[in-house]
Amino acid sequence: MKITLLPRSAGRHVNGWTMTSVIGAAVVLLPILYVLACLFRPPNDNWSKVKQFLLTDYVLGSAKLVFFTGFFAAFIGVALAWLIAGYTFPLRNFFKWALVLPLAVPPYIAAYTYSSMTGYTGIIQATLRNRFDVALPPGTIEVMSDRGAIFILTLFLFPYIFMMTRVFLERQSASFIENARLLGHKPISVFFRVVLPLSRPAVMAGVMLVVFEVLSDYGVANYFGVQTVSTAIFQTWFGMYDVDSAMKMAAWLMIGVIGLFMIERWLRRSKRYASTTSRSHPLRPQRLKGLAAWGAAAFCTVIFLLAFAIPIAQLAAWSIQYGGKIWRSDFADLIANTIKGAGIGTAIILLIAIVSSRAARMFDSPFMQALSRMMSAGYSVPGAIVAIGVLAIFIELDGRLAPLYRAMGKDDGALVLSLSLAMLLTGYVIRFMATGYGALEAGYEKMPRVYSEASRTLGRSSLFTFLRVELPLIKGSLLSGFVLTFVEIIKELPLTLLLRPFNYDTLSTRAYQYATDERVFDAALPSLLLVMIGLVSVLILLRPERR
Amino acid sequence: MAYVAVEQITFRFSGRQPAVIDKLSFTVTRGEIVGVLGASGSGKSTLLRLIAGLEMPESGSISVDGRLLTNERVFLEPEQRGVGMVFQDYALFPNMTVADNIVFGLHKLKRSMRLLRLEQMMELVQMKEYAKRYPHELSGGQQQRVALARALAPQPSVLLMDEPFSSLDAHLKASIRSELRQILQKANITCLLVSHDQADIEAICDRVLRIQEYGRENEFEEIAVG
Repeated sequence: MKITLLPRSAGRHVNGWTMTSVIGAAVVLLPILYVLACLFRPPNDNWSKVKQFLLTDYVLGSAKLVFFTGFFAAFIGVALAWLIAGYTFPLRNFFKWALVLPLAVPPYIAAYTYSSMTGYTGIIQATLRNRFDVALPPGTIEVMSDRGAIFILTLFLFPYIFMMTRVFLERQSASFIENARLLGHKPISVFFRVVLPLSRPAVMAGVMLVVFEVLSDYGVANYFGVQTVSTAIFQTWFGMYDVDSAMKMAAWLMIGVIGLFMIERWLRRSKRYASTTSRSHPLRPQRLKGLAAWGAAAFCTVIFLLAFAIPIAQLAAWSIQYGGKIWRSDFADLIANTIKGAGIGTAIILLIAIVSSRAARMFDSPFMQALSRMMSAGYSVPGAIVAIGVLAIFIELDGRLAPLYRAMGKDDGALVLSLSLAMLLTGYVIRFMATGYGALEAGYEKMPRVYSEASRTLGRSSLFTFLRVELPLIKGSLLSGFVLTFVEIIKELPLTLLLRPFNYDTLSTRAYQYATDERVFDAALPSLLLVMIGLVSVLILLRPERR
Repeated sequence: MAYVAVEQITFRFSGRQPAVIDKLSFTVTRGEIVGVLGASGSGKSTLLRLIAGLEMPESGSISVDGRLLTNERVFLEPEQRGVGMVFQDYALFPNMTVADNIVFGLHKLKRSMRLLRLEQMMELVQMKEYAKRYPHELSGGQQQRVALARALAPQPSVLLMDEPFSSLDAHLKASIRSELRQILQKANITCLLVSHDQADIEAICDRVLRIQEYGRENEFEEIAVG
């Protein structure tokens, strides 16, 4: 019989579960802290030049992109959410889920699809010219600009806001909205005086997701030649080979992200609009008639066509036309690499996530709560920061391990870890830990604690309880966590582009490479595949509602 | 002689909150069925969780049959205590059959012994024909009997029951009460049963303890069973 001697509770809290959580949180936080720490190091000469001549443009570029994308995405997202939650009109049930589909399209794919479609030889101008003999003046529909980037990012990110706002309105707002109607308010007044203020927390949560995605974006801005802090970090790194300045820039971006995070918390501090009773009933939509009904349907149709149907149809057409020759090259290797990297990355993430979500559940202490919040921090950290932090740490590690390498018979200054797949995998773990952790945390929240307690009182160990009682009960969450993480990793671009080993290509890097080499037609097939894979995760996100 | 001895036990959920249980002491003799009465929030479920090892007391000691379960230095994990518990919602594992649920705690027995014990338990609670069913296919009363069989199967030193009637329909209560008393007597087990309903407890228990006001030092008031 094991009797734990002094101190009682410490012995209970220090075990494999909590240790793994601490290690997991450290992996997520270390590169971020490393980047932040460089703020305290003396700057080099280049940095003062960057700061003097370039930084303002970068910051303004990012700010503009964030502001306008956030604004337009919120406008479209909230308008659609209110239409669909509050009213019935033709095709409403279709749009309810179809308007989430744009999330399956990585914005960088949309960027090069749209830029080819709207170019001089693209389908729009070519059709106008050949069929109708209309020649557009150059620059009329130019997407290769910051306006184009805002257009693309808005169309393919608004579903975050749409989804969160719609779910909130459907579930939480019924009694307030019905009361406003009973009190004689007209629809417009109901929207501005009740719906909008009520749904502010949900809208803000969606907007924050969009903002973090925009700040993290590299593919769209780089393709369109828009200057942002994220693209600048990469340019300083690979154009000027100045990792120190790149890291300084990343650190300032991180400060900005933390600032945004705190502003959002502060805005929400005392405004808890969530319903005060748990007995809220679902909102019953009103029927729209005549012009209003067709107007609503038309609005939804336009958004759906622009944000999903048109670019996908174009990609499909290109794939059919030009896809044949892609198959002949190293396409199988590409798919194998993609699945291997994503598979290993997902496995590591879920392993850490399952252990630490269980630890957080077992030991409900403030320390474990903080730890679990740190686990999810990586998602709001732009890919550029993660990439440069991981790279810096791996180079440092290689330096420290140099004596070991020499003993193993390698040359002086050999880079082992920082040329291996381990570096990319670490990047994935940091960036997508939140996805896996979130799924498992939700799974544990849905599972009543008593099952584990019953098992313990029946004389079963903690490990046995985990394997035989908890695991079978959370396997659904485990599966959806796996698929969501796997798909996110496959779609990921900037981290993979920067941290991959030499000659290691995935579907996303290859598609992007083709596109930047002006071979958009060749990019179509891998892009279409990526969208298909993305659809799987969108369907999982939508699943709980259909039950 | 005291079989279950709870001495000066104190518990709070977090450092800043007032104690839920404050310096509570009582004893139970072997084979006794003791009821604990108290309003909701009075800490009666917490008391059971402390004995089972699901919560850690701030101070005080608990021992059963002369074996120390916890004090300021020692804390036995739930699986080391040999204490059986029937949870409020029964907590039958939804992914296992009735039989699998009952043998779940019998891992220390040999296979032949395990099956024999399963047989005995099914007999005791009269659930023989339901061995292959899953919990969601059973009525509330049947679920309670399976939970009872599962808790009794490993022959615990003491059985803890948390609000055993709260998930049952009112009109079933009377018959299930007498049934439960019969089973407990047949099993000849020391039992601590918690309820907010005095009638439940009086129908089953040999002795009743009423937990006193929340927030002050707790004391048990003995009530005679009429």
